[in-house]
Amino acid sequence: MKSYAGWDCHTHWGIVWKERDGVDPTTWLAVLDSHGLRHALVLPHEGLQTQEAILRDNDAVREVCARSGGRMIPAFTCHPAQRGEAVREVRRCAAPGVPAALKFHPWLQGFSLADPAFVPIVEAAEELGLPVIFHDGTPTYSLPEQVIGLAIRHPRARFVLGHAGLLWNWRAALLAATVENVWVTLCGPHLAAFRELGRRIRPERLLWGSDFGFGFADPIGYRLGLLREAGFGEALLERILDLNPKELFRAPTAGGAA
Amino acid sequence: MTVDACCAVGVEREYSLTAEGLVREMDGADVELAVVSSPDRCLAVSNREGNELVLAAARSFPDRLLPSCSANPWYGQGAREELRRAFEHGARMLVVAPSLQGFSLSDELLDPLLLEAASARAPVYVHTGAPQGATPFEVALRALRHPELDWIMGHCGATDFWNDAPQAARLAPNIYLESSLARPFIFRSHCLAVGFERGVMGSGAPLSSLRFEWAEMRTTLADLPARGPAGLEGVLGGTLLGLLRKGDAR
Repeated sequence: MKSYAGWDCHTHWGIVWKERDGVDPTTWLAVLDSHGLRHALVLPHEGLQTQEAILRDNDAVREVCARSGGRMIPAFTCHPAQRGEAVREVRRCAAPGVPAALKFHPWLQGFSLADPAFVPIVEAAEELGLPVIFHDGTPTYSLPEQVIGLAIRHPRARFVLGHAGLLWNWRAALLAATVENVWVTLCGPHLAAFRELGRRIRPERLLWGSDFGFGFADPIGYRLGLLREAGFGEALLERILDLNPKELFRAPTAGGAA
Repeated sequence: MTVDACCAVGVEREYSLTAEGLVREMDGADVELAVVSSPDRCLAVSNREGNELVLAAARSFPDRLLPSCSANPWYGQGAREELRRAFEHGARMLVVAPSLQGFSLSDELLDPLLLEAASARAPVYVHTGAPQGATPFEVALRALRHPELDWIMGHCGATDFWNDAPQAARLAPNIYLESSLARPFIFRSHCLAVGFERGVMGSGAPLSSLRFEWAEMRTTLADLPARGPAGLEGVLGGTLLGLLRKGDAR
């Protein structure tokens, strides 16, 4: 199905992987290889679960990605409750010329996207050219409408629905079609929803992901299979699996937006 | 015997599947029987239309399709009468979709419908995973209050209640975990936690592809023994068939 590099835009450097492999991506990348995928956006795990782990988990994500030969793009996190420290952490993680993103899981991390303390973080992401990825699909803090509302309030920042509303709120992800600055990751909804999202979201705003790395189970084959079953044409598949992530996660220029 | 626990026929916003089309899909996937339910609209409001659709599909393929039935509990006595009628015409399972039908599984509003399921000795399938009113522990508390009924936890609480599913299932032995939309690799981990003899295969067709889901599940469970309730025989049909056959004695 491909003559292009495949991107998985929703993976994790999971706690179990970190415990077993430290910051060595060899085995993790072998799983990617077995599915013919070249690149992955690598989200944190421990740092999403524990505020105290944020700095060391960001460091682990950065280091494992640095050892991947450019195949793994890091996404870092912080917590708005840490106020100025959170913004400093964003700036610490964003190295000029190195592609990166931010990841938040508001219901797991326990903060509202309406919290004023989140605004400086979004402003820093915008300034540094970092896309901001969210777990979405679940109340109380992670509904697609909440992310899209944030995107309307910050039209120059770029946001990603990491799960396209999951199984029960995917119709809300269709609202992403009403704004310019929201990308939608096909990672969580069922096959019929994939097809509808593929039909109604602009091709330039679609991504795909597997959630690989949370544990040792390999979900890539199943979720790549769902994407194939959706019956998208080759041009759209190339957009989803290569062109869109390449454009979204390209390296920001020094100190500014990409 | 292979049995798919979760299929629908009819026309919905994202699909259109006839009984003939479903049986063709089953033939292509080596699936012998399927429990069929009605599309979302008929679960929510047009219950009689949906039940008639499903019963007619089963009459067309009596050796392949097993009819379920549903009624929105907000219709009160009318819902109860509709279920009684559907069971008398051959329905084998009660399907409830709390999120879609607008009630909480914990709400006593459902109680009269459960009496009809108990009278028919039919299992109760609950669509779980939507955050309001349809979570695994709501199934568990219902199952504890109604030990006379078998409860099928549809979708295992997928997505974000997946953590709850095995813990909730452990609370009551009359809960069975159904796989559709739950992803085979997650379903497998749940079964490892509660026992494969309590796992039930469903494809979720036509929201997903029956052929694809069965192929994925067979690959995921390839290391199970072929026979026995905790083997492929049980998970891919035997366990569910045992629950459905309890109604034969009524």
